Amino acid sequence: MNETIIQTNELTKYYNKGKANEVLAVSGVSVGIRHGDFAVLKGPSGSGKTTMLSLLGCMTRPTSGSITLEGRDISHLPERFLTDIRRTTYGFIFQQFHLIQGMSVLQNVMLPLYPTDVDLPKLKKKAEGLLEGIGMMKRRDFPVQGLSGGEQQRTAIARALINDPEIVLADEPTAHLDTALSRDFMAIMKDLWEKGKTVIIASHDPIVFENEYAALVVEMRDGAVRNVTRK
Amino acid sequence: MSLNSHMNVLDFTLLSLLRRKFKNFGIVLVFTLIVFITGSILFLSYSFKREALLILKGSPELIVQRMSAGRQELIPVDRAKEISALPGVSGVEPRYWGYYYDLLVKANYTILASSGSLSAGNRLLQGRLPGPEEKGVAAVGRGVAKARFIDIGSTISLVSSAGDAMDFDVVGIFESDSELLTADLIVLGRPDVIRLFRMPPYMATDLAVTVRNETEAPVIAGKVRSRFPDTRPILRKEIIRTYDAVFGWRSGLILTLFAGALVAFIILAWDKATGLSAEEKKEIGILKAIGWETSDIIEMKFWEGLVISLSSFLLGIILAYVHVYFFGASVFAPALKGWSVIYPDFRLAPFIDPYQIAMLMALTVIPYIASTIIPSWKAAITDPDEVVRG
Amino acid sequence: MRKSLVFGLFVLGCVLFLAALGATSHVRVSHFLAVSRDLGDITATLKLTDISFSDDARYTRNPSQADIFSAFQDYPGSIEHFPSGSVTPPPDFTSLGAAMKVRGQ
Ligand SMILES: Nc1ncnc2c1ncn2[C@@H]1O[C@H](COP(=O)(O)OP(=O)(O)O)[C@@H](O)[C@H]1O
Ligand SMILES: [Mg+2]
Repeated sequence: MNETIIQTNELTKYYNKGKANEVLAVSGVSVGIRHGDFAVLKGPSGSGKTTMLSLLGCMTRPTSGSITLEGRDISHLPERFLTDIRRTTYGFIFQQFHLIQGMSVLQNVMLPLYPTDVDLPKLKKKAEGLLEGIGMMKRRDFPVQGLSGGEQQRTAIARALINDPEIVLADEPTAHLDTALSRDFMAIMKDLWEKGKTVIIASHDPIVFENEYAALVVEMRDGAVRNVTRK
Repeated sequence: MSLNSHMNVLDFTLLSLLRRKFKNFGIVLVFTLIVFITGSILFLSYSFKREALLILKGSPELIVQRMSAGRQELIPVDRAKEISALPGVSGVEPRYWGYYYDLLVKANYTILASSGSLSAGNRLLQGRLPGPEEKGVAAVGRGVAKARFIDIGSTISLVSSAGDAMDFDVVGIFESDSELLTADLIVLGRPDVIRLFRMPPYMATDLAVTVRNETEAPVIAGKVRSRFPDTRPILRKEIIRTYDAVFGWRSGLILTLFAGALVAFIILAWDKATGLSAEEKKEIGILKAIGWETSDIIEMKFWEGLVISLSSFLLGIILAYVHVYFFGASVFAPALKGWSVIYPDFRLAPFIDPYQIAMLMALTVIPYIASTIIPSWKAAITDPDEVVRG
Repeated sequence: MRKSLVFGLFVLGCVLFLAALGATSHVRVSHFLAVSRDLGDITATLKLTDISFSDDARYTRNPSQADIFSAFQDYPGSIEHFPSGSVTPPPDFTSLGAAMKVRGQ
């Protein structure tokens, strides 16, 4: 399992290109991520980690350069295909969790697959299985706005996993958690990694990048790659 | 996409709407009220016009009134002979009628001279009409009968213009099915009408002209007017047109009363149409980020508009129907009928114009759906990147 | 039961109810049509011109007929508006071929 799953090539992203408030958020990044990697993007705030994750996750398009996913160039695909990739290949855990307020934990977890042909009762079973796996079953019918930060994150994790993604992306996952909860989170990620998922996390928290299984650490600074370490 | 996925999206939409129960039920309530009011008015005026048209089909093609100093005056009966000599006129008959205010029950009656008998087998009259020359008998409308507690065989007493009491045996009462036409009528023999109103001899209230061919009625009206410049001919077409106008006017009045609700609703729809709330925008972004397609989001918004507008339309139109045809438009009746002692029993036949209902549906459901979809369109086609950042 | 089904049943119920109302409407309209022949007979025999719709005042009883108090004294169909007269000009009857011209004789 050493073949490359994602390869970026001179990836560059400008925000507001050509305007007075132009920002070069990512500049000329070329990295390769392999199947089953546990990759960490590290670097100080504003170094372009979130932008990088967003590019890798097909949330936005590069200004120049390319991204290949399993050998296929996805940087110029039409919107519909990007959505399809988001739905089938990625599970994204947002920094702010982004749960739909007013809905229950279970409904939030089921959310990504509603517009597919899936059978709702089956989907519900699957979601319950995921909640069981991360110890959230007792909160199943709670509206998400009443949950603690850790519980909200677990809900977000379960939601990211509902489509059996090959690649799990997480942006600053420990930013809102205390040390104990951060370790719990990493345990969940480790578990996923051990099950063969590719995990990519953007973080400047040592708990995330200083551990034995973080095989690939990409250090960023001002949008560019400073240093790549592979264990 | 299969049926299942559409149902799933609808499921999600309903879930999402139920999150804001208070707001969404409020919208449905106001929307239903709007459809109810508009629907009631449409039902009422359409049925009323259809009924009026059918009922008035038998009225005289031409009425000739005499005007004096700008007021309606009695007309000399001998003019009938001259008018009937006009080409195209098949008959002229004087009408004797007037109003009678009953001090006892404080109601207005319409007194009318009989000029023949109803065709055999007419089920709307219990008993008979007085003969044209008959004295001392009367046929009365259901409203009069109710106001005066009379039945066939009772007597009804009226005070003549000369001040003396005149008693009439009631020989006929109109059935309630004819109330829209006869509620306040008292039909007497001609000599009794003349005596009651102390009309001068050889004078009638007006003349009813029958013509051979109705399309010629306007020409005949013109001839009557040039022969007798002090007359005013009224065509049956004008009568029917009057009813259109009267009803349009009355419905307009009701609409004005509810204009406030209408305006409130338009503001609400406008508010929705011109911008999404930050929260809604964010939710659309989240859905996109987790794998919903633009078309899924548009579909969800379509369902959202449909659920609210279709529910409101269906409820409103059902309520309007029940209100108008089962409860006699009780909410609007006061504004429609005005105050009076003798109310016609307001049971309209439920004539329905499918075209009107389809129009009402198109004018309520489609704009509402559009106003939910269009503003979310822009949010749905933008990159979900913004959302990632929160 | 799933919510989409509940909504579908609600719509179906409303449509069926409307259909039932349509059926009663049919029955009642045909009853009225049967009665309307007799009503037409009354109108023709008694030479009635108006509907007994508003008996609240004499001038509303026969809106199509001129009267001392008539609201439609000069032009049938003109819309009177208390306390002044018409708010809009009366409709033009020339399209009906009427003898009486309303605007600028
Ligand atoms: N939508 C945007 N418009 C303009 N500038 C942006 C936008 N998003 C991010 N940036 C800028 O791009 C740079 C990289 O941001 P980001 O990727 O969020 O860094 P990190 O996640 O490492 O903190 C920052 O300077 C930030 O201000
Ligand atoms: Mg960041």
